Amino acid sequence: MSITEIMNHSVISVRPDRTLRQVKEILRIKRISGLPVVDSSRKLIGIVSIEDIIKALEGGYIDDTVENRMTKDVVSIESTATLKEVIEFFEKWSYGRFPVVDGEKRLVGIVTKNDVMMALLAKLGLVYLHDERRREVLDSPEYFARSLLTGERLDKSGADFYFSIDYFDINLAGVGASKLRQFLLSKGVDEKTARRVSIATYEAETNVVIHSGSTGAIYCFIKPESIFVRVEDTGKGIEDVELAMREGYSTAPDYVRELGFGAGMGLANMKRCSDNMIVMSKVGAGVVVEMEFLRGREAKG
Amino acid sequence: MKISEIAQRLGLEICCGNCEQEVFHGCSGDLLSEVMSHAKPSSIWVTVQSHVNIVAVAAISGIRAIVLCNDHKYPQETIVKAEHEGICLLKTNKSAFEIAGLLYSIGIKP
Ligand SMILES: Nc1ncnc2c1ncn2[C@@H]1O[C@H](COP(=O)(O)OP(=O)(O)OP(=O)(O)O)[C@@H](O)[C@H]1O
Ligand SMILES: [Mg+2]
Repeated sequence: MSITEIMNHSVISVRPDRTLRQVKEILRIKRISGLPVVDSSRKLIGIVSIEDIIKALEGGYIDDTVENRMTKDVVSIESTATLKEVIEFFEKWSYGRFPVVDGEKRLVGIVTKNDVMMALLAKLGLVYLHDERRREVLDSPEYFARSLLTGERLDKSGADFYFSIDYFDINLAGVGASKLRQFLLSKGVDEKTARRVSIATYEAETNVVIHSGSTGAIYCFIKPESIFVRVEDTGKGIEDVELAMREGYSTAPDYVRELGFGAGMGLANMKRCSDNMIVMSKVGAGVVVEMEFLRGREAKG
Repeated sequence: MKISEIAQRLGLEICCGNCEQEVFHGCSGDLLSEVMSHAKPSSIWVTVQSHVNIVAVAAISGIRAIVLCNDHKYPQETIVKAEHEGICLLKTNKSAFEIAGLLYSIGIKP
């Protein structure tokens, strides 16, 4: 993966003849914390950060020009760099962002640690909330009330389909998913979509029965363009979601393995069958899986 | 191909279900999630799993018939549920390998 795939192309820059006061306004309005400085041919000649602004306010020179106060020996990355090289850059220097330049030192983009992380997650094919947002969601009393995928409040009582996973008998595994399949077909959802939804829901349901040690629920909302399914439980949770997502990883006990469970393919199946998926878990509080299925589409791969 | 024709040509014992349905594809495996991820709709599944969960797997993934190999027996529960779901249950003393080969040779596609 090259840096041009992960960097932000629409980088905001400033000319050297502007004042620091103007920079302060740009940073405030755009909610960013630094600006590359370029000359009339877009060549990178410096950088000003929020730290420089604070110093300028303290030192009383906020109306000075950028040129007089910017950092001139700015560390930049060439646009031919690879993702690996970008990561090494972040390791070597403690800066939060690097301007990206072409062969003639012209500014073409900017890359932050967040861009790198998002690129990695996209590569993993996982819609995965980054740490801050994740903590925010998990710590909120609304953990069970908001959609992970859309961030909207979920009116669960308004779900088109509801099934309570309140059994512990492994022989019943999949009753909820089977009912959901019937329900979708009765609502005129096409056969292929209904199949994808019910396979993914089956996997999520059996996980609740086998692994959570608790009860759970299935909610389904039928939308004009898509089917939205949420399966949640209040059980023991998953310590490392990324590890659990890995195909072949399973902690299934022997007695269920004898029955053919425990291939470690459940979560992988859910991801393959759905178009969007988020798994969120807090140890001791349970697991929430949300999946979106666009209607009238084949399963991936 | 009709399930009844397959049963007759391969000498399979019919335990329950509607054998006049057609199947076009075959799959084999004993790990449920793996079967779920590979099975195509309208297929016949070759396995040694006999407990009741196989019926839900079949119904959800569009499998219409199950061939239980190595002379394993279906528990009564499985038969009751399969009847309810309309899944055809077959059994044989042949191995899964042999059945898969025979199905392939009579034109059932992967
Ligand atoms: N609802 C849950 N509560 C607690 N742990 C879970 C839950 N869902 C999944 N896990 C953990 O994630 C692991 C991987 O789940 P996955 O569904 O991919 O495989 P599996 O259930 O072990 O096997 P298979 O689904 O192939 O039968 C499980 O073994 C378990 O450790
Ligand atoms: Mg599973």
